This record gives sequence, structure tokens and C-alpha cells, in this order.
Amino acid sequence: MKHEEITQFLLEELKRKGADDVILQLGSGETTLIKFVNNKISTTKTWESTNLSIFATKNQKIVTSSLRTFDKETAKKSAENIIRSLARMQPNKNFKGIAQGPFKYTKEQDCYDPKVEALNEEMVDMVKQAIDTAKKKAKRSSGTLEKTSAESYLLTSNNVEAHERGTGLYFAIRTLIDKNSSGYGSCISRMKNKIKIQEATEHATHIAQLSKGPKIAMSGSFDVIFAPHAIAAIVDRFADNASIFSVESGLSCLKNQLGKKIANPLVTIYDDPTRANGYGSTPYDAEGTPTQKTSIVEKGVFKNYLHNASTARRYKVKSTGNAGLISPRAFSPVLKEGKYNKEELFRQVKKGIYITNVWYTRFQNHETGDFSTIPRDGAFYIENGKIKKPLKDIRISENILKILKNISALGKETTQIKSWEVDTPTTVPYTLIKNINITKPN
Amino acid sequence: MHFKAKEENFLWKKLRNYLKINTPLHKMDEDLAHFSIDQARKLGASYAEARLESTTANSLVMKNGAIEASSFDHFGGIGIRFIVNKKLGFVSTNELSKNKIITILEKAIRITKATKTMGENISLSKERTEKARYEVKQKKKLADIGVEDKISLLQKAEKAIQSTKVKVPSRYVVLSDTDTKEYFTNSDGSRIFAHVPKMNFYYFLTINANNKTTQRYWVYGASGGWEQVEKWNIPKIFSEEVTSMNNILRKGIKTPQGIMPIVCGPQVSGIMAHESCGHPFEADRILGREAAQAGESYVQLAMKGKKMASSIVSIADDPTIANSYGYFLYDNEGVKAKRKLLIKDGKVNEFLQNRETAFQLKTKSNGSSRASDFEKEPIIRMSNTFMLPGDYKEEELFEGIKKGIYMKNFMEWNIDDKRLNQKYTGAEAYLIENGEISTPVISPILEVSSLKMYPAVDAMGNNLELHAGDCGKGEPMQGIPVTLGGPSIRLQGLRIK
Repeated sequence: MKHEEITQFLLEELKRKGADDVILQLGSGETTLIKFVNNKISTTKTWESTNLSIFATKNQKIVTSSLRTFDKETAKKSAENIIRSLARMQPNKNFKGIAQGPFKYTKEQDCYDPKVEALNEEMVDMVKQAIDTAKKKAKRSSGTLEKTSAESYLLTSNNVEAHERGTGLYFAIRTLIDKNSSGYGSCISRMKNKIKIQEATEHATHIAQLSKGPKIAMSGSFDVIFAPHAIAAIVDRFADNASIFSVESGLSCLKNQLGKKIANPLVTIYDDPTRANGYGSTPYDAEGTPTQKTSIVEKGVFKNYLHNASTARRYKVKSTGNAGLISPRAFSPVLKEGKYNKEELFRQVKKGIYITNVWYTRFQNHETGDFSTIPRDGAFYIENGKIKKPLKDIRISENILKILKNISALGKETTQIKSWEVDTPTTVPYTLIKNINITKPN
Repeated sequence: MHFKAKEENFLWKKLRNYLKINTPLHKMDEDLAHFSIDQARKLGASYAEARLESTTANSLVMKNGAIEASSFDHFGGIGIRFIVNKKLGFVSTNELSKNKIITILEKAIRITKATKTMGENISLSKERTEKARYEVKQKKKLADIGVEDKISLLQKAEKAIQSTKVKVPSRYVVLSDTDTKEYFTNSDGSRIFAHVPKMNFYYFLTINANNKTTQRYWVYGASGGWEQVEKWNIPKIFSEEVTSMNNILRKGIKTPQGIMPIVCGPQVSGIMAHESCGHPFEADRILGREAAQAGESYVQLAMKGKKMASSIVSIADDPTIANSYGYFLYDNEGVKAKRKLLIKDGKVNEFLQNRETAFQLKTKSNGSSRASDFEKEPIIRMSNTFMLPGDYKEEELFEGIKKGIYMKNFMEWNIDDKRLNQKYTGAEAYLIENGEISTPVISPILEVSSLKMYPAVDAMGNNLELHAGDCGKGEPMQGIPVTLGGPSIRLQGLRIK
């Protein structure tokens, strides 16, 4: 309560000293992570902090800062420093103000669980069970189990006052049969009873087993089945492209594409931070606008850029509730499911490749969408719908817009993925994409 | 190297990104670090170390000529690592009070003790007890440089682009600096105070000509004062960069494919040294500690002493280079930093070690343990990793080449998680014809295994350059300042695509 009072005091100070727009976000949180390596726990880590972030503007000049010492004297000094800094800044003519409240927020479903918050020693048992499951079939496994609990209080000069409380569990495992045969699995949940550690472990172990034996390198054009971890990395990057900030910065393939057909009509992609038990779900964005489901691609047509209040005013549209104070961004991208089960997808592939995971996705040109990414863990050659041989040393060297056009079938079940490569929790099905360019080193 | 192109999402990470912490420098309380060690020992720890950090940070973002925002911040806190019942644990907080430290340590030690049947037994190598204070001098203090000076510099850079008349529709730049004071102490008796200011300049440019675009990003970084930023000459970097890339767009031809000699500039040899030597020579990767995420290594312990590169290749990792972006004199386990030769005359010579891997491998730490901030455990990291230069001038490397490729720098690159299969796609690149640079070429690709690449180096230039980068590793992800570098190098017998 004391911290919230200081937050309110700071807002009044900044307004009194002449700030136009002010956004204050008080946050506190704690994360505990157990890291396991080669079937043993290698370390346990806990980090916690409480902070107050400050965003203030005057005459279109913008300054951000923060406060950690929660007393009136420090808050007063901080306000003085910010006002002094604002005086020395230059105006950002593109800035059109923050969101105007008050807003009504829908209560998040299944995003806070006191049972997650209370976890500590019990996490060791959860990890032990996973290692024991993997050990039945794999030689060694490594990974992490992470639990987070956090609270935030948002207060703005434009009539926004809001609270958010959340928890989360994230588990990742890589199992190895031998040095070159591995599988990866991960799962996330805001609720303890919905985390699927056993399933993720069994998936990783299954892939590792399939990868056993001599591997071949291949190159050429192939129909490729992307498992959720692999396609999520691409959808995550694509959703970044939808931020209007990315477009203006040259970091997007969606410049001048509004209303145009950019993907196969099977493809629908949206951002949905309102879903129950969504790892990226949040009731409001960084300036307090309620979050919403926003269509990015609908049946192959590019529908919306992601906006905050300022960029929306500039482009004469409504905010999509995706602030980022400086850069709007996707919170929870979804590639909508199709109609096939996994076996039906495989049956559609005469000669192709199955990729279970990728990493190190990098672009040669963000505007054209030319990029490459590297499959890791199990990757397989498929013939007549059956896995024939594990592959090694392959790379996807492609174009993100071509990939969207070549999506030819989608699985009917989706999974929300977060991993080393997928920063933003991204929900995807198994996906079949035609004519993917596969390269190998010489 | 890991380029974090976007903000992370989940609530807690969102908060951590937005909110930094205000710890005034004068309040750095070294006694609190000693208290933490004593407290951990009281709770049963056989070893404990504490790192107090206090950092001021400034950054300025300019997009397409308009100043977007400026930020100024103070943040800091304490990170405590301990061994209890032979198990390793870590805890951190930004609330610098004895009560808070008692509470978090109790909880953290409880969970670490609970790993008793599942936990790896951890021991650390015996190392010298160090007592030191060091700082990087600033000729022009960062604290004296106002936001107006920084805006003025970025505006000059903007004008430099305009004066070239090249179409550059998107310009995204970030100029930032940090001034970090850090106090390290451990139960062995080491006490080290470090004061290191660093600065960083990132740019991302989109160049347009003939209805085509090309893009280029790069990073400059140093430790020291504002004089380092002045040395970079940002307006000159911009005018040269956009002029060269405009030339590539207008005159570039399709890259001829096939096996041919390739000359790589220092930015390319630098990223090679970082990706396919620095990372796979990290002992924790070799031992599997990073298997789940950052990956393992093609390098095996048994390769030590074996030849893996042509004998003119030597690669160093050296944190002690003055004013470098990866500078430190003592690592985050209190071990004195030194220059290591990872590859020496073509042979596997030394791995990057911390105290944990050194104990396992019955050797000594070579001071390679770093944490990106007080909230993270120290792990094995590179510092300034570079190919040692040879005797040739760059132009001498082209001599005798009838037809080849000069890849001055790159844009897209990646490497697999064992650090074997890598790809570098040229940004500014040219044909070499009859011993001279001729026509620009579009996006030549070198896609090659580390085991083929290093033996293919047949000549080494004398034009060593160190370039800055933000290297990512660990769980949670730790982005850490490094440099990567080398001279221009020539490779024979590899295929260009």
C-alpha cells in the first residue's frame, strides 16, 4: 500500500510540475528457476525485485526513468529530475499522447494461481519426476523449470488505475540418446494443474528415440511438416512484423500490405491476450488500454497493424491495445488451427521433411522477408507419410512471405509455445508447408 | 551473438524490462555484501559470494530523424551465490536491507537443500584470494555529456546520410551508456571493486534504389568515456555505409557460384571467431551444462592439443584489452582475468573455464565467469574474442586471385547448437578479379562446417579490428557485452552460393 501511495504522490508531483502525460507502473515479482543438467539438478536460482517505471511527456518530449526507493523525498527529487530532463529533450512530432481512460477491464481467466505462487521445494519433485520419466528411454536430459509470480499497479495521468496479478510455470527439457540424437519439449501454464510436464518430457524423449542412428544431410525443395516448436518461431517473428513501429523502422515485411492477400486463404493469424491460461495474456497494455483479440491475417489477407494510442491517432485508427510505450507489440500470437490430425498431415507428404524445432532465426532483409533458421534436435526425411531417416546439418533458407503463401494444411490442435527461440508465447498447430528451400553446408 | 530484436512479453519480464531500479551510487554498501556472506554461512553454506551492483544507464532512441525518447535510470541490487551441502544456489534482490537478505537467503537455501538426492555435487577450483580496486578512466566523463550533446551527434549523423543523397527510408539508432560500479566478495576472502563505464551505438538502416532495398545493422561499443564515442565518428560511419550499400544495390550483380577463394573482412572473421571458436570452447558447453538451450559443442575434451585449423590460425580471448567493450580485470568469481589462446598455431589450446568446470577438469579457472547483472548467476562467457593478425596488408590477400569473392561484412548469419554448421550472407561484397576488387555482388553465401572452415584459412591480414556485440547465453537469458574481431582473412577451396 505504501508503494501505491508513493506512486500516486509521484503522479501528482509530475503533473504539478507541468508534465503532460504520465504513466507509472509499479511492479514486483519473484522468479525461481531450477536448472537440471545430465539428469542432475545443477543449480537453483531465485530473483526478486520491486520497481516503479516512469514515462513522462511534455510538449511531445518523452523521458522514461524509474524509482526504487519508496519515500516522498526521493519521489520528489525524481520528479524534479524528470522535468529537468524533459526541458533538455527535443519533441517527438510523431507522439500523439497516451490512452485516455477510464477503461473497464475483463477479469482474466486462469492467469493467477496461489498454488504456483507458493511453490518452492516442491519444484524439485516436479523436476525429479520429469528426469525419471526421461531416463526410462533417454540417456540424459537437461532443462529448466521456472515459476514466476508478479503484481503490477498501473496509474496514468489520463484516468487509468488498474491492478494485475499473475503467475506462470515454464518447463523445458532436452533429452539425448547420444551426442547427436536429441528431442526437445516444453510447456507453459499460468495454473499449476494445467502444466503438462509429463507430456512435454515424453514428446522430447520420443523425438530423441526417432533420431537415433546414422543421419544424412539433404538439400533442395521439400514439403515440410513443422512441429509446433518450429512453426511458432516463424509465427512469433511474423507477429513482430505487424507492429507499426517495426514497419516504420524497416523491421517488417508488411509495409504497404494492408488489405492485400499475403498468405494462403487457409491462414488466419491473430493476437489474443485475452485467452484463459494464456502465458502472454494480460488485461491491459502498457498505457492501460484493455487488450483485445486483433486479427492480423484473416483467410490470407493482411488486416491490421498493431498500435498503441499514439500510433493509432497518427494513422487515424483505433488502438489495438498493444502498447509498448515506445513500440506496440504482439502479446499472444495465434496461428489458427486447420482440420487435420497429425497422421493426416503426414499422409499428405510423399517426399518431404519433418522439423521438430529450430533456432537462430536471422534475417538478411526484414522488408523482403529473406531469412534462414536452423533445425535442431530431431529432423527427419519422410517418404509416403512415414519417417524414413533422421537428418543432420540442414538449414531452412527462405522468405517469410513465401512461407505464408505455401502453407498448405494445418493441424486441428494448437499448442501455446514458449522456448529459447520463441520469446512471445505463440499458439500454433502442426503445419504443412510446400516447397521449402533446404540447404546444407559444403 | 544474440540480437534481442524485441521486448519480452510475460508480465514479470515486462516489468523487468520497463522498470529498472534506483540505487544511488553513494549508497553502495559493501558491508551488506559481507553480511550476506556471513548470513549464508550461518545457514549452512560452505561457500558464498556476493556481488553488489550499482549502475546508471542512459539511452536515446532516434527513428527516421526524430528523437523518440530518452531514458535515464539508476539500478542495482545484490546477487548471492552459495554452495550448501555441495549443492549450488543463487538468489538476488534489489532491496538492499539486512531483513530482506535474511528472508530471501532462507528461502533460497531451503530449495537448494531440497535438491539433496537430485543435485549435482559442486566443488570449485582453489584460486588465489584477490584484493583489488580498479576503474576505467574517462577522459571525457559520461556524466558531463548532456542529452543535448547526444542529440546533436545523432543529428549530425542524420545530416551525413542526407548529404550522400542516398535514399535511406528507415533509420533506427540507439545510443546508450552505462556506468557500473560492482563490489565482489566471497567467503575465501576476495574483495574486488570495479568501476567500468561502457557505451554502445546500434544502428539499423534500410537503403533503397531501383525499387529494391538492402539493410544493414551494426554495433559499436567500448569502455571508457565519451572520447570513445568521438573516435567512432558516427557521421562518417553512416555516410560510408549508405554510400557502399547504395553502390551494391545499383551496380551489384548476381553472385557467381562455385568453389573459389574468399577474402573475409574483420567483421566476418570476428563473427567466425566468436561463433565457431569462442562458443564451442566454453567448457560448460563441452561438459553439457548448456545442453537444453544454448547447446553443446563439437569440441571434445580429447581434442586438446590436436590440430583443427591451418597453422596460421590463432584465436585469443582477452578481457584485459584497454577500452574494449568486453573489458574486465577480475571475473565475477573473483579470478584475475587474462589472455587465453583458444586456438594456438592451428591447434586446440585452451578452453574457457570457470571455477566449477576447472574443478571438474582438474585445472585452474582462467577467469571466464561473468554475469550480465546482479540478478544473474555468473557463467562461462567470452570477453574480447579475435583471430590474431598476420603480416599481410589486406590488398595483398587479393594478389594472385583470378576470380574470387570479398565479403567485407554480413547481415544474416547463424550456426547450429553444436557450433559446426554456420552461414554468413554478405552485405557489402565484391568480386575479386585478377587480384583486384571489381564489381559489387548481391548477398554471397558461405555455408560451411567449422571443421572445414578453419583448415581453409591460407593467409591472414594485419588489419585487426575489434567489433562490439551483445552475446546471449544462459537461463534466464544473459546478454553480455563482448567484442569479436580479427583481420581480413583468405580462405581457399570453399564454395560460394
